[in-house]
Amino acid sequence: MDNMNSNDFVTLAHGAGGRQTAELIDRVFRAHFSNPDFTGDDAAVLPVDAGKIAFTTDGFIVSPFEFPGGNIGKLSICGTVNDLACMGAKPLYLSCAFVIEEGFPLAKLEEIAAAMKKTADEAGVRIVAGDTKVAGKGQVDHVFITTTGVGQLTEGVRTSGAFARPGDAVIVTGDVGRHGCTILLARNEFEIDADVTSDCAPLWGTVKSMIDASRDIHVIRDATRGGVGTVLYEIADQSKVGIRLNSADVPVAPEVRGVCGMLGLEPLYLACEGRLVVFAPKSEAPAILEALRKGPYSANAAIIGEVVADHPGKVVMTTEIGAQSLLPQPGGELLPRIC
Amino acid sequence: METAKQIIESYDGRKLRVMEVCGTHTHEIFRLGIRRILPPQIELISGPGCPVCVTPAGYIDEAVMLALEHGAVICTFGDLIRVPGSEMSLAGARSKGAAVKTVYSPLDAVDFARENPDKQVVFLAVGFETTVPAACLAVKKAAAEGLANFSILGANKTMPNAYRALKGSADAFLYPGHVNAITGTAVCEDLVKLGVSGVVAGFTADEILTALAVIVRLSASGEPFFRNCYPRVVRPEGSPAALKLMDAVMEPCDAEWRGLGVIPMSGLKLRPAFAAYDARLKFSLPPVAGRSNPACRCGEVLQGKCKSTDCKLFGTACTPLHPVGACMVSNEGACSAYYQYGDILNG
Amino acid sequence: MCVGLSARVVSIEDGTALIDASGAKRRVSADLIDDLEPGDYVMVHAGVAIAKITDTDADESRKIMESLDGNGETDH
Repeated sequence: MDNMNSNDFVTLAHGAGGRQTAELIDRVFRAHFSNPDFTGDDAAVLPVDAGKIAFTTDGFIVSPFEFPGGNIGKLSICGTVNDLACMGAKPLYLSCAFVIEEGFPLAKLEEIAAAMKKTADEAGVRIVAGDTKVAGKGQVDHVFITTTGVGQLTEGVRTSGAFARPGDAVIVTGDVGRHGCTILLARNEFEIDADVTSDCAPLWGTVKSMIDASRDIHVIRDATRGGVGTVLYEIADQSKVGIRLNSADVPVAPEVRGVCGMLGLEPLYLACEGRLVVFAPKSEAPAILEALRKGPYSANAAIIGEVVADHPGKVVMTTEIGAQSLLPQPGGELLPRIC
Repeated sequence: METAKQIIESYDGRKLRVMEVCGTHTHEIFRLGIRRILPPQIELISGPGCPVCVTPAGYIDEAVMLALEHGAVICTFGDLIRVPGSEMSLAGARSKGAAVKTVYSPLDAVDFARENPDKQVVFLAVGFETTVPAACLAVKKAAAEGLANFSILGANKTMPNAYRALKGSADAFLYPGHVNAITGTAVCEDLVKLGVSGVVAGFTADEILTALAVIVRLSASGEPFFRNCYPRVVRPEGSPAALKLMDAVMEPCDAEWRGLGVIPMSGLKLRPAFAAYDARLKFSLPPVAGRSNPACRCGEVLQGKCKSTDCKLFGTACTPLHPVGACMVSNEGACSAYYQYGDILNG
Repeated sequence: MCVGLSARVVSIEDGTALIDASGAKRRVSADLIDDLEPGDYVMVHAGVAIAKITDTDADESRKIMESLDGNGETDH
């Protein structure tokens, strides 16, 4: 931080592999990610426990790269931590690869790294390896991050999108569509203001509280791109079951509903980054809900529907007039509907 | 008192064909599952009141030409982005480098033009009477500020002559409440004299059900009828300020409706005093005759002459992700609604 | 065809109204309505307040249904 004037921005030299690359890594990444497993060697060397590991990777691009409730750094940790958590795996180690646009402010890069560290600490995961590339101006949008993670599977827990069964309750762990709505507003294309912050959160603790309450959980999936609606169709398809949803039970923040009303959008299709969709036998649902409602990221958890044997592959909604209507399959770009 | 829903569900009189003219009605009716509570004697037909659905392919071609050949920034409602032109949609043009910006209001396009004086900004002015005042306000604002880099590509349409053209397509119209908020209800009263029945309807579940129940009850006499079921928003005189504004900025013209052909005096164009804001004149666009897929039956769907499912492209070559006809691309289009909300068990 | 949004007017300035729909706020043109005041409810379309709203949909629907039970069937 001492030599800010000459080192304000990321340059192509930072990505050339020489002394300046080492400086960037020391100043930003080693300074923030410091832990015993993060070494200067070519690969992290890690102990292997008995049992099984879960292993996943995810790339993150988001415009703008910072938004109310988080930034791309926090997002990149949450995304991979949550993918591991959905399998009932305790996140252990992450790697992260950065592609940074030439001219990106170093101070912002530090903010991103700090958010990553904070989120990783909360999730109980260590960042043990990384890579940095610098791309020419205009070749990437500010910064792209890819994270890869491994986690330790919890014994006795097996979840899969193929395990939903008729008679399961469908639970969401909080109000839907916040992240997508936040990003939409942050881009300021529609000049709408609303007090909405992203739901972006690391959810291993949330999953842990559920599996401590019940081992009989069939599906846990995080609703990211495409929102809860997309997840429901994925599960209906993978498990070859029908899903019945009660539209009145889907939690939506009033502000999100207001923004969606203005732009003709459906909250069920807006992205979340801190919401899980959970399928478990109805008998287990009360214990799971009780555990969820004590958690910091799932106080508004709710049962929104059930799994049925009828209409496999389809999601049917009971609407506000008590009629049945098919939830449209999400697809394509979300476009505001005005005229 | 019977509820509106009970009146509708228990109807067993003669067959009633009701045309919802407005795309937002179509969308809400499907979303709420209203078709599923209708008895077989009530049939709902989705009419031509989705501006996207009735916008001809040639209009998209003009917009693509402005973007790709003239380098203009196209500002548009999101509704139009995926509508197929003869060669490509605006989304397709965007992938070839066209600048296409989604806006909430035409007034936002004027703001964008002011902030980007080095760019030519063209707003795609589609929509019916509800949307026309916003476009007129935008043109007036640009004129008042002397913005030389703003213009509109007009395809605005008006409903009265379309109703007349559709006379006989249905026993009663569900009139589009937000159009009547501007125009008032005189046009509907006049239609009664021609034997055309209808009610003005709002857009919430209560309002749509109430309007349908009123149609059921008033149809019993067999006499043509009109009732305003949306007086909390629609006054008999409409919006005098909006009508005055529209008359000052635009004048009637013949207009092509996708699938229906040219309906005389069913469109609006800028008056000569505002010619500087007409993108066709400003960029000397050549006449464009758009080509639609000849197998597409959107036109007949819009007139209630066939159902979406009667079209052989429906659900095969033509789906919401790969739309052929405009009724599939618009979220409010009849085909899109049929496809997305269609048959729970078979669809 | 015309997605309308019911919203409350928060303030008015130079022909522009700040409107609030369940916490979603935006500036829209108030040019089409003369006597608009903060607290009024308006129907908003494409960035323009197109009409004042004078009742709730539930109350309005109830009144219309009551009128049907009266002389509705003889009303032309």
